[in-house]
Order: sequence, then C-alpha cells, then structure tokens
Amino acid sequence: MKKTILSLAMVLATGLLFAQKKTTTSAVISFDATTPIDALPKAENKTVIASLDTKSGAIAFEAAVKSFAFSNPKIQEHFNSKGWMDSDQFATASFKGKINNLKEVKFNKDGTYPVEVTGDLTMHGETKTLDAKGTITVKGKVIVAASDFSVKLEDYKVSGGAIAAGKVAKEPTIKVVAEF
Amino acid sequence: MKRYKKWIIGLVVLLLGGAGVIWYLFNLKYDDTATVKADYTVNAMDFIKEFKQDMAAANKKYSEKIVTVNGTVSAIEMADTTANIKMTDTTNGAYIIFAFQQQHLAEAKAMKEGEQVSIKGSCSNGAFSDILETEYITFKRCAVNK
Repeated sequence: MKKTILSLAMVLATGLLFAQKKTTTSAVISFDATTPIDALPKAENKTVIASLDTKSGAIAFEAAVKSFAFSNPKIQEHFNSKGWMDSDQFATASFKGKINNLKEVKFNKDGTYPVEVTGDLTMHGETKTLDAKGTITVKGKVIVAASDFSVKLEDYKVSGGAIAAGKVAKEPTIKVVAEF
Repeated sequence: MKRYKKWIIGLVVLLLGGAGVIWYLFNLKYDDTATVKADYTVNAMDFIKEFKQDMAAANKKYSEKIVTVNGTVSAIEMADTTANIKMTDTTNGAYIIFAFQQQHLAEAKAMKEGEQVSIKGSCSNGAFSDILETEYITFKRCAVNK
C-alpha cells in the first residue's frame, strides 16, 4: 500500500515538474543583417524573456529592442532611430506561437527533437505570421529551445537608405536560444 | 596650371578627409564601461520603484545612460555563452537584469546569490512583461563598479 502511494506521488510529482510553464529571463536572440559591403549590422540581446508550456506547446518571447547590443555605437544609434526600429515608440518585439508537432517531443527523455513552430511575430508595430523550424533539446531537467530563421524587413515596414544602399540585409537571419 | 594644381590638391584633401571620417565611424567601439563615468547612481529597489511609478518618465531619464546600481544579487542566470545578474523586488517580482561586457563576464560568474554588489552599465529600458506579468529593466555592456 505504502509503495503504491509512493509510486503515485512520484508519478504526480514528475507530471507536475514537466507540465508546468517554464520561463527564462536570459534567452538570447542574435540577428545578422550584414552584407558584403557592411559587416557591422549584427547584434545580440541576452536578456530576452521566454516561456515554454510543455503541455500545450505554447512558446513565447519578448525582447526589449534597445537591449540589442552592437559593437559600433553609430550602428546602435541608427538601429534605434526612427528610420530603423524606432525603439522609443516600439520598445519591444515579441513572438507568440505553438509547437505544431508537440507529440514528437518527449520532455521526459534526453534527446534533440526537431520542431516546427507557427506563431505571430510583432516588431516595429507590425504583426505577421511566422513559420520556423527549430529544435528542442532535453538534457536532464534542462530544456533548450533553438531556432534559426529569417524575416523580410519590408514585411515589418522597416526601411531606410542603408537597406536600399545594400549596407543592411533585406532579410536578416535571426537566431534564438532559450534555456529553461 | 597653378589654378588646376589648387583644385587637385583641394580634391585630394577632401577625399582623404572623407575617407578618414568613414574609417573613423566604421571603427568606432564602445569604451570599457568600467572606465566610463556613470550618469546616475541608484539603489536597486528605489530604481525599480521609479520605473513602476512612471515607466515613460523613467525611460526618458535613464534609457541609454550609464547607471551604477547598488543592490543584492537575486540570481545568476547562465545564458548560452554568457551570464546575467538579476536584482529582484521579491514583493512583486519586478527585476533588473544586467548583461555583462565580454571582458567582464568573469566578474558576473564570480558573483553569489545574496551578495551586495555595485554594477555599472548602459540602461536599455524598462517595460512590462506580458509573459511574466511584471515590470523589468534591462542593462547591457555591464561591469562591476570598482
């Protein structure tokens, strides 16, 4: 009887552990908008908020636009200016989506699982549906969600002379890594 | 011929000057934050309170300014290849998070939870998180204030 109760308690505890919504405040998003004539427009934001619900497959990110750190102060200034991301008005970029093939991810078994995510990406005040491929890596109690994708800046009404002049890529690549 | 010479010298000077300005702008780098004078020095909990009271006014005051924050480490979060330090108001969950400059990463990794520290960095901005349902303030290019 004792053994049954203990086993039941362990199953419940494991269920609760893996069913809860997991969050982090230190996800990393890096973007690369470099071109053959300009190697400077790339940056990293290491203080992104992310959540993953292992039960529903809901996944979300929130990034403060001004937290993208560039190596060059002038590029940082341009990035945040009205002609680019206008970060005073549009302070955050966010993504809210779902893992489409959640059944294929075993959160209680170590491994790397390919995933497909669909959701809404909002930046510069524009929201567009985004499909992205990525991976979920489970190692013990740690879950790492990662994805690489690209976005068309014109879809988010981000334009400017630097883009037209070929100094900034029209479709920057974005890399997301969140450890829960 | 003399007149042409003047024009040619002027053009060369102009071209060299222009190239110099472009070279300078392309090679600009941020200074080591440890060597930069802070615009403001604040206590972590008062700082959070100021953002909670009026987010817009606080962002206008502190955004992209170098701020020294004195407070207690509530968490050290290892992120990908880096480490972030957090100071949290335990009464409401609002927090400040500091991402360190590459050359100061070891300082962040050496910190301990509960330790009183002084961190200097570039305040990005404050915002409300829909995910966490609380306010947060982010810093970049941080260093320990010595």
